[in-house]
Amino acid sequence: MSDIKVAPDGLEVARTLDAKGLSCPMPLLRTKKEIEKINSGEILEVLGTDPGSRNDIPGWCARAGHEYLGEKEDDGFIRFYVKKK
Amino acid sequence: MSTFSEKAKNLYKTLCQTEWNATVTGVLIALFSILIMAWWRPWGAVGAIRNWGEWILYGIGVFDHAPSAFLFNSGSVIGIGFVAGAFVSACLGNDFSFKFPPPWELVKAVIAGILMGVGSAFAGGCNVGGMYNAIGNLAANGFTMWIGLVIGVILGLKYIYWEMEHITWGISGGKNIDMPFALKVILGIAAIIALFWGAKVYSGSEDAYAASLGGILLISAALGYSMQRGRWCMVQAFREPHMTGDCTLAKSVALSILILAIGAAVLKYAVPQRGPAVAVGNTVISALEDVEVDEIDDEDLADTLEDVVDAGDQALQGAQRVLDPVNYVRGTFGWGGILGGFLFGLGAMFAGGCGSGTLWRVGEGQMKLWLVVPVFGVTNAIMTKWFKAMHMEGTGALHVGSKLGKHIYLPDVLGYGGTLILIAIIMGLWYLIVDWNEDSNKFIVGM
Repeated sequence: MSDIKVAPDGLEVARTLDAKGLSCPMPLLRTKKEIEKINSGEILEVLGTDPGSRNDIPGWCARAGHEYLGEKEDDGFIRFYVKKK
Repeated sequence: MSTFSEKAKNLYKTLCQTEWNATVTGVLIALFSILIMAWWRPWGAVGAIRNWGEWILYGIGVFDHAPSAFLFNSGSVIGIGFVAGAFVSACLGNDFSFKFPPPWELVKAVIAGILMGVGSAFAGGCNVGGMYNAIGNLAANGFTMWIGLVIGVILGLKYIYWEMEHITWGISGGKNIDMPFALKVILGIAAIIALFWGAKVYSGSEDAYAASLGGILLISAALGYSMQRGRWCMVQAFREPHMTGDCTLAKSVALSILILAIGAAVLKYAVPQRGPAVAVGNTVISALEDVEVDEIDDEDLADTLEDVVDAGDQALQGAQRVLDPVNYVRGTFGWGGILGGFLFGLGAMFAGGCGSGTLWRVGEGQMKLWLVVPVFGVTNAIMTKWFKAMHMEGTGALHVGSKLGKHIYLPDVLGYGGTLILIAIIMGLWYLIVDWNEDSNKFIVGM
């Protein structure tokens, strides 16, 4: 698909979801549920290891209207950032 | 030169790193599925998984007789090639790492393996052999499993929603053990070399069966590579329209099945008409070419006759393989296919991968699926043995007296043209429904 979108530095995260080690479809479903716990405009951080999330999370954001801010590679996992609509 | 190296870098990225477009992947999977069929036999996932399960059961003393060797059982070789291909793709694309899930996911892996093992016994195969390649082989039982899969996946989705509300134990704390990218590239290249070396060893064998495994190994690896690179997952194709509404994969699977069916129809119709005749013809001509009519003595005649007989044997053997329309149709067009599809679909939701999706995720280092495979294999091996003893699927290649459903080769009923029209209509309808659902969200199961 498209190139990887890198998240900007210094994002203020309202909530963090640990989805490490989870495989499809759990990271996305947990993300869907977790985002209900934050307010509009706040940022959810998802820690994941499933390469499928690279496509699933941005795709879902586009569909659900949330803003996908990008990802950051960490030591052995990826941080995804989603801004709630 | 710098632009050239830039282009080379881009090519590597396209081939080995970016996720492939779903439609392209679906077309490639159909192409490789037709190729492996033309080479010898359709591919499947459960044949490999069952063979490995039989070895586990033999190892712990449950089965008395050793199963067929996993390097010489064609089903198992397909599985090995497939996982190796996915591993190559995951290494070169930097997707490979040992992904250890939280403990609850391991519990689900065991449940998933049991459901998938039982389901694929009832349906006469997993989502590949029982559905994708079954419809592709113009067998009616593919459609009953398809129906069961839809129901099973929807119920599985409802379960997952329930689980997220009620299960709090062991849902986080997964770990990931990564390694440097350079090491992955080396491992990936080593796996490619091993695959070609393996294919060479097989091809050099004097035994025709073993020699044909070389092509099986390489084409299976191409399937595994493409599926991992495109993250092409059939359970996702069934699930996504009900979960997010996204129908990209469902459309791709529908298209892939149609292309496969056309390819299979061409092979099954045309090759038996020409293949054996050509084989016999060529042998007879070359055998008689050097024989002077006047000088024929008994020895020459005997040799010639021998060659003719050999050619006849070859033609017969060829006909008994994939191109014989009767093969790869199962006696599960009925409740067996529906129940099997249902259990398998439910299990695939617990696993997070279908038969093929499980295998390529194994190649990507997902430890949850590493656990699904042995449980799936052991369960299926036991079920298959039990079903055989009970004659559940009837007897012989035509499954006479099957208790699971009917054995129907669609062209026998509708002709080749009619069969392709039916498959095109059903796949077209599926395509239209999921596409319409993407906008209307009519079939989305709410959280």
